[in-house]
Amino acid sequence: MALPVAVVEAAPIDWEVPEEQIGLWQDAWIRFRRNRLAVLGAAVVLFLIAVAVLSPLLVHFGLLASPLTQHVESIETPPGVNGHPFGTDILGRDTLARLMVGSQVSLTVGLLVQGIIFPIGLAIGLTAGYFGGRIDNLLMRFTDIWYAFPDLLFVLVVVSVWQLKGPWYLQLIPIFGAIALVNWVGLARLVRGQVLSIKEKEYIEAARSSGTPPLKLILKHLLPNSIGPIIVTLTFGIPNAIFLEAVLSFLGVGIQPPQPTWGQMVADGAEAIYANPSGVVFPALAIGFTLLAFSFIGDGLRDALDPRMRR
Amino acid sequence: MAVVAGRPKRGALLPKRVAAVTDSRLGSLGVYVVRRILWMIPIVFFVIVITFVLMHSAAGSPWDKAGGRQLSQVVVDNLNKKYGLDRPVFEQFLLYIWNVLHFDFGLSYQYQGKSVLELIAGGWPYTATIGVLAFLLIVPIGVGLGVLAALRQNTRVDYATMGFATFAASFPNFVIGALMIVFFSVLTYGWTGGNFFLPAGGWGMDDHLIMPAITLALLPIAYTARLTRASTLETLRQDYIRTAWAKGLPERLVVVRHVLKNSLIPVVTTLGPTFAFLVTGSVIVETVFSIPGIGRAFVVAVTSRDYPMILGTTVLFSIVIAIANLVVDILYVFIDPRVRLT
Amino acid sequence: MHLRVSIRAVTLAATGLFVVSACGPGGTTSQNLAAPDKQVINMNDGTEPNSYDPTQQTYTYEAAVGRNVFQTLLSSNAQGTDVVAAGAESYKVSDDGLTYTFKLRSGAKWSDGKAVTAADWVYGYKHLLNPALAAGYVDPFFDTTIKGADGYADVDVSKASAIDTFLSSLGLAAPDPNTFVITLQHPAAFFKWVVTLWVASPIRQDVVEQAAGGTFPSSDTTKPEVWAQKAATIIGNGPFKISEIVSKDHVTLVPNPSYWGGAPHFQKIVLWFIEDANTAYAKYQTGDLDAITVPLANVDVVRNDPKLSKEAKVYPKLTTFWMTFNAQKTPFDKPDVRMAFAKSIDRDKLNKQVQHDIQKSILSFIPKGMAGYDESDKAQSYDPTAAKALLQKAGVTADTLNKFKLLTRNTTRNKTLNQFIVDQWNNNLGLNMQLEVIDSKTVTSRIRKGNFDIYGPDGWGADYPDQQDWFDIYFKNSCHSLNWGCVDLPGYDDLVKKADSELDQNQRNKDYATAQKQLIDQAAVAFIFQDYEYNLIKPYVGGLTITASDDQSLPGDLFWHDAYVTQH
Repeated sequence: MALPVAVVEAAPIDWEVPEEQIGLWQDAWIRFRRNRLAVLGAAVVLFLIAVAVLSPLLVHFGLLASPLTQHVESIETPPGVNGHPFGTDILGRDTLARLMVGSQVSLTVGLLVQGIIFPIGLAIGLTAGYFGGRIDNLLMRFTDIWYAFPDLLFVLVVVSVWQLKGPWYLQLIPIFGAIALVNWVGLARLVRGQVLSIKEKEYIEAARSSGTPPLKLILKHLLPNSIGPIIVTLTFGIPNAIFLEAVLSFLGVGIQPPQPTWGQMVADGAEAIYANPSGVVFPALAIGFTLLAFSFIGDGLRDALDPRMRR
Repeated sequence: MAVVAGRPKRGALLPKRVAAVTDSRLGSLGVYVVRRILWMIPIVFFVIVITFVLMHSAAGSPWDKAGGRQLSQVVVDNLNKKYGLDRPVFEQFLLYIWNVLHFDFGLSYQYQGKSVLELIAGGWPYTATIGVLAFLLIVPIGVGLGVLAALRQNTRVDYATMGFATFAASFPNFVIGALMIVFFSVLTYGWTGGNFFLPAGGWGMDDHLIMPAITLALLPIAYTARLTRASTLETLRQDYIRTAWAKGLPERLVVVRHVLKNSLIPVVTTLGPTFAFLVTGSVIVETVFSIPGIGRAFVVAVTSRDYPMILGTTVLFSIVIAIANLVVDILYVFIDPRVRLT
Repeated sequence: MHLRVSIRAVTLAATGLFVVSACGPGGTTSQNLAAPDKQVINMNDGTEPNSYDPTQQTYTYEAAVGRNVFQTLLSSNAQGTDVVAAGAESYKVSDDGLTYTFKLRSGAKWSDGKAVTAADWVYGYKHLLNPALAAGYVDPFFDTTIKGADGYADVDVSKASAIDTFLSSLGLAAPDPNTFVITLQHPAAFFKWVVTLWVASPIRQDVVEQAAGGTFPSSDTTKPEVWAQKAATIIGNGPFKISEIVSKDHVTLVPNPSYWGGAPHFQKIVLWFIEDANTAYAKYQTGDLDAITVPLANVDVVRNDPKLSKEAKVYPKLTTFWMTFNAQKTPFDKPDVRMAFAKSIDRDKLNKQVQHDIQKSILSFIPKGMAGYDESDKAQSYDPTAAKALLQKAGVTADTLNKFKLLTRNTTRNKTLNQFIVDQWNNNLGLNMQLEVIDSKTVTSRIRKGNFDIYGPDGWGADYPDQQDWFDIYFKNSCHSLNWGCVDLPGYDDLVKKADSELDQNQRNKDYATAQKQLIDQAAVAFIFQDYEYNLIKPYVGGLTITASDDQSLPGDLFWHDAYVTQH
């Protein structure tokens, strides 16, 4: 026989509530906007994307020199010579034009690869860290195998099976796959480490014992508190992917020339470093600015998402 | 309310004396280490399987030459017979596993008559020396810069560190290596009339080590610094740290006692594999600086289809990375006692 | 029988006794020699040899070591015009051209002091020709010439008895310790060049067997090579011997104290294995290397440098490069189409600009510096109008051709050259073809299967300066094994085979000239340039005899015995 339990309807408590209830993400957006460096970074990224999209048009309408036309009488010239503001490369092609058109490939590689790594690494890291035990063990042993995965070999096989044909965005698919496939492990282990150290904390305990479902727990509590290092890893992954594309092309697997890419421009420039050092400096600067911009955005994001900062 | 009986813990049925050891903190750690080491066996096995499959799927045979006169079919057939490549792949695989269990990793195709073990053992000391040297640069400089930048967030120190980190990451290490040689070898030689300059590559337990180690270390320092900064910033915002500041404790004490340990988890996570990569070598640094190590061994083996060397270097790397990750996991426990390993 | 008169040789009667005085040690005395402890030279071999057994070597970076530690029966003179005596004092050829009797060098000794005997020569040749060891240079030089060696391909290498039978059937004999007799399958005027190949060296049987721990069956593939793993057991008969091998780093050569030709001046030659050309360039400038090849990108820097430009010079190589078309794919089976492509490459721009005026344009097959060089046939010269007309005449449209790709090996040089060449084709012929840059081994495996459209730059470097070495590339049955494009040239095979076995040198030259004309006029391939090397050599290195046959980046390595370091 059930005991009668009095259900008391408590009077609504008058908390001190701010005028608007905003969600975490809206709050974050406002804080992001206020961060000047972050906004600067975002502006630079938008500019780069604009360059990537518009430069083929500029070339088409003759406003920009062609990145493909070879002027073999002015090979490896320094900036300013013969009407080439940034100089020329190993076949006399205009470096500025190649830099601008090359942003297409390099930005795509840099960003999309992170876009693939992020969900995979995150999912595996969160799962391993949160559930622990056998799942953690199996997943981590899986990443151990993956760390040792002979990526170069894998890429060679992919290329011999799937001969690189067609326009550059199709050629990129096996390369993406190869780069992303290998690089998610670092992020996964990072995320797992974060989760392991955070999940024993008191507020997590509190949330768990109050019945929050695991997914919400992960996304609302674990993730935002561990986001800082994740963002750093992703931003550093961008130049890493760009250079990996160049290294792959060294090994005979990459975007087919004469399509310019920043990574290959750096590699080609390094060979001619005695003859024309600017050939290395300009694409490296482009990569550096991209990284800087994303670093600012990343920092801004992290500051914005930090629930502990006051509005 | 029902009482739910739990499952007895793992060691509950062990004899008392063993349980006393394995239940103690160090003891359970010891058990954990042993279990992880045992796990390396299936890991290495799977790595071998994957590598074997990929190797034999890649186009090109070890006997195709890069140019000029190719070997005649007769010679190719005889070479295949000599190295057992004419047998079915599965049979070759079993034979390889059998040999590995006897610590025989086969003979290299490229360096006639030399065994894989001999080649790896011969080259590893060079690679490891430079790798360890680079690591000794990365840890103090990377972590130090990161903590400093976090403590002085948004000041000039912070911006300087970020600028340096970006610079280091914008240039791939073959460019950094080449630039260093241009400056510190060639140009310095010219400016000092040949009296003071760093050697342009080559091996020696002296100033030959400086440029390769720095080149190897630069990007990891940048990444470690940024990572440490991000993690430290998060720790600094914790309530107990703010309590410490509020209590008026000196900065150095707070940092060393509380902040550092708690920020180190992500840093240690990446330093582990970084150490593994450093110690197994970088193909680019070893090529640019002409180091006779094993860093190039894997890449050269793949491009020349030297199957035993591919397998040997991959196995080595899988063992090193597994050990590195094990050390990282153990360090977690010491850094953050709340972390529980299973 | 009439032997060609060479510059240094003295031909005697119709028996063809051939004597040349060997180069003595040191020559003149007044060269301002540096002290012995300064007679050290550092050069860059680029890549570590895969083997130190000369019979097993195949690459030029191995040859440099092999030919200085061992010595062959004959060697080439500096001009590449004829052979001179080396390990053999003299030789005579029988009237039917089938028997070569070599009188071995009296007083020739191994680096451990023992005398070199004919038995050593027989053992060396047999070591080379052992099918189980699968030496790379056997085919076609030795298995198509030496009597009994034509069975090389049919030996069952798993059976020691089969190998032994094969080896003992070879036409190699040592009737007395100072005479080595080689019998041929059929006459071959070029055989005197074959024996100059550095792989044809004598080997000491007792050294091999001691290192192997005793005798071993001929089918064993590892024991016969143990001796070549350590410097101490590499006993050679050449002017130098190996004093140390540091794997992947360098190999050091020191004088062979027992060399018959007297001591060389160099007390140490250190051959480094530096793969990065710019690193080698830096090391030259810091004095760690005494001779290098200037990387193409730095050529203009060197030319404009007041000091370096004085130390640099261009040296020809007996190497020609061309572009290959897959004649099994229409429309490349039509000579007109191939010629159109050949005539739409501006070789002037390619070689003067892109290659910085180091390499020289060539429209023919045999390179300058070798007998047979003939630049009179200019059928492949640059003429875009004529090229377009040829395409139209053959009725080929751009659409068919635009599907084709230029298969390229993934080296910087090849990528650069091919980007230029495909650009030329696209601009001059109104096409839109693409490159296909792939890993080098994959490229080789594809051309071996005929899985390509156009491939290049493909080239040939003379193994020895005789035209026989060159023309067999385009035999019909070299399809998929040197004649990658599988070009079909009517009458070519018979003509060349006739020239190969012809004993009259004049007639040979005439036949080869006709064959060369056919190659050019039918555009079997599109010839583009002859390879030259731009080398920097320190001014204190003296007495170097630089030939067009030098191994890459190692100037004068055929005659290091006579070189020296001057005081500086």
